Amino acid sequence: MNPINTRETFDNQLSHLSQEVLSLGKMAEIAIRQSMQALQQADRGIARQSIRNDLEINKKRYALENNCVTLIATQQPMGRDVRFLTAILEIITELERIADYAKGVSKVTIRMSEKNSSITIMTHLQEMAEMGLSMLERSLEAFMRRDTESARSIPLDDDQVDHLYNQVAMELTNMVIKDPGTVQTAQYLMWAAHNLERLADRVTNICERVVYVNTGEMLEFDQMEDE
Amino acid sequence: MSKPKLKPLFIDNLKLRNANANRWKIFFQVSTYVGIIFLTLLLLNILNQTFGYVAISSKVDPDSLTKEGVSLEQLSKKELITIIQDNVSAGLLRQLQREMPLEEKSQSEVYDIVVEKVFESEVSATWTLADSLMNKVSIRAEAAEKYPKADLVFYSWVKPHLLSNPQSSNPLNAGVRTAIFGSLWIVLITVIVAFPIGVGSAIYLEEYASNTWFNRIIQTNINNLAGVPSIIYGMLGLAIFVRTLEPITSGAIFGSVDPTTANGRTILSAGLTLALLVLPLIIINAREAIKAVPDSIRQASYGVGATRWQTTWSHVIPGALRGILTGTILAISRAMGETAPLVVIGASTYIVFDPNNIFSKFTVLPIQIYQWTTRPQPEFRNLAAGAIIVLMLILLSMNAIAIYIRNKYRKY
Amino acid sequence: MQLPFIYEINIESTEMTLPQNNSLAIEATNLNIYYGTFRAVKDVSLKIPQNKVTALIGPSGCGKSTLIRSFNRMNELVPGSHLKGEILFRGENIYAQTVDPVEVRRKIGMVFQKPNPFPKSIYENVAWGAKLNGFKSELGYPNMDEWVEQCLRKAALWDEVKDKLDQSGLSLSGGQQQRLCIARTIAIQPEIILMDEPASALDPIATLKIEELMRELVEEYTIIVVTHNMHQAARVSDYTAFLTMDEDRSGVLVEYGQTNQIFTNPRDSRTEGYITGRYG
Repeated sequence: MNPINTRETFDNQLSHLSQEVLSLGKMAEIAIRQSMQALQQADRGIARQSIRNDLEINKKRYALENNCVTLIATQQPMGRDVRFLTAILEIITELERIADYAKGVSKVTIRMSEKNSSITIMTHLQEMAEMGLSMLERSLEAFMRRDTESARSIPLDDDQVDHLYNQVAMELTNMVIKDPGTVQTAQYLMWAAHNLERLADRVTNICERVVYVNTGEMLEFDQMEDE
Repeated sequence: MSKPKLKPLFIDNLKLRNANANRWKIFFQVSTYVGIIFLTLLLLNILNQTFGYVAISSKVDPDSLTKEGVSLEQLSKKELITIIQDNVSAGLLRQLQREMPLEEKSQSEVYDIVVEKVFESEVSATWTLADSLMNKVSIRAEAAEKYPKADLVFYSWVKPHLLSNPQSSNPLNAGVRTAIFGSLWIVLITVIVAFPIGVGSAIYLEEYASNTWFNRIIQTNINNLAGVPSIIYGMLGLAIFVRTLEPITSGAIFGSVDPTTANGRTILSAGLTLALLVLPLIIINAREAIKAVPDSIRQASYGVGATRWQTTWSHVIPGALRGILTGTILAISRAMGETAPLVVIGASTYIVFDPNNIFSKFTVLPIQIYQWTTRPQPEFRNLAAGAIIVLMLILLSMNAIAIYIRNKYRKY
Repeated sequence: MQLPFIYEINIESTEMTLPQNNSLAIEATNLNIYYGTFRAVKDVSLKIPQNKVTALIGPSGCGKSTLIRSFNRMNELVPGSHLKGEILFRGENIYAQTVDPVEVRRKIGMVFQKPNPFPKSIYENVAWGAKLNGFKSELGYPNMDEWVEQCLRKAALWDEVKDKLDQSGLSLSGGQQQRLCIARTIAIQPEIILMDEPASALDPIATLKIEELMRELVEEYTIIVVTHNMHQAARVSDYTAFLTMDEDRSGVLVEYGQTNQIFTNPRDSRTEGYITGRYG
């Protein structure tokens, strides 16, 4: 006789929910990529498209939140299940914020009047984005696989993103010193870099939630700013 | 995608099942009606015997003793005594006066003496109720032809005299008073003995006894005892109470009777024998009643710190009282109707004096009825039918009391 | 310039906080309970804290009812049951030869699964146990009437029954009957109240009333509750013990800890399986 899985329906609902979280993550990733493409090519059309897409992401996030609340109310989860659902509430918020950063970068693209001069800076910004997206992808994978170890190690990569951020900041300062006329451009680019730096921080939060789901530990991978 | 359809696995057999159910229902109905028919026949048979035309012939024509227009019943005691003095022999009169001076008797007693001794009324023939109702004319003709001197009257064998008169050889005067008193005395002894012992052992078995092999044997044996034929109890009573314990059951060692004539065939022996007989019934009924008290009540009682006895006294017994009393009354009805064991221990069949203590000789209603039915004269069978009605009324009223108690002690 | 990551634990300590010895109400040590040869409870040691609600949860047949009934020696009324081990109450083993079970039950009262008021008046239901155990008005409380009122008030029933104290206890609704049973238990002034699935026969509102009442009573009494409704255990208790059956179908204690820990982050996978509904 097959043992009856007493919560098969609930398990199916949960796995469907995590698939949806994954697809929300994919949408956030595409938004970042799109906005970076717009920035690199100074293409306002793509930038505007990316801002419009953000609406979809917000809608999906609210749908998922509603889904979670319904499951909490109807299934009365306990133990790992309640940790899982509350973590999802947290993770979808983080994903929506990440999409907001894409919007931020797109706005920079729209406002910047001229094409950017420094190829180095643009390369570094692209690297920051790539690194952040890689962290995002791995964190969601860890979430799906319930992989505590990798969830603990991903935040270490934030170090490199921060390093790049500092480098971009230095380069922009140098740019302004050389040619004070670029101060507005530098400001916009600094803003874009800031958005990308925050992206990595959000991924760190997602990793904290993954660890919480798996172990019940509430951690904070804190990043101490120097004085 | 359409839902996969279930393959039909069933044939439509509802009609068949309903037909089967109907057959059984009809069978049950018929059995009930058959039972009712038998009971009705029994009752009709008794009623048939109890009422009907009776031809009564007298040595002295009652009309000759009374002045015109005044019936005998209306005469005063003094006039009745005069009639007796005028019509009976001197010897009989002396004998009557010796029993009890006529002047001290009541008017109705004197009237009875007139009917018995003066008229020396006798039953010449009786007809059943059915006959009396349907063949009135032919009965009248037959009576006029065969018993020209007799009075043909429509007679009820259940009458006040039946209750108030003692046994007599003349069916017109015979009554069941001594038998009723005998029955009541015996049942009293039975209850006094069997109720405390029966309820006590039921409480012990249900509340205290643990489930050991010894107690299981006791319980099985009590259940078996309830099925032992009553005549066996009679033989037991004969051996123990009448013979072995004769000094006690005859009352000889208490000095209340004449030791030379006393024997053990007394009310006490009969009561004790019937007590043995109904004891298993009382125990079984009381145990069922105690078992029916929900365990949750006992637990609640223990839960507030009651001892076993406090629990039993305050919750178990009040909860079971209804069932215990009902069971006891039904057991008493059983004792009232028992004949065989009392015959075995030697109930007298012809007693004219009321039993006045537990060492008296006795007879009981069923024995009286049995004795009358064995008489050769047909009119005693009519008398027995009347006594059966009396017995049935007593048993019915005991059952009514049981029902009343059941309703009164309804759950709080 | 940049420090490496550190992580810090950010919520209250998740170390298992078990009751301390100085505040124990009752303590079971290596308890084994048998029905004939069958061992229903195996090697259970449990420290129940004072003035707290402790819930015993677990699947059917895990021995939780047997365990709670052993705390006031009700279990020995079941024919064939016997017990090894100790239950210490005020430093004394309640199963010692010299201890009368009646005295134990007076100090450790019990409320049952099915409301079982006596078939007597509401007043008598409360007063009977008190009378039985030698309630003396001179000893503190003015008189029985006031004591009955006090108990009914504590059981949150007074306002509903004050005009019909002479009516049968059985005329009340199920939830009211159960609160009457609680009042009856309070009336004998126990130190511990055992509740064996007290709300399983009640509707949801009556259940919540009983639960709320338990939270009020725990100010004065220690409460041990058996429940098969783990959400009830989660709502009402401070500590939770999870029992289950081992391979011999004997009840064993799997995990015991603070309720919030047991229900959000159980240590044992069997507990996790049970509370998330993936038992077996």
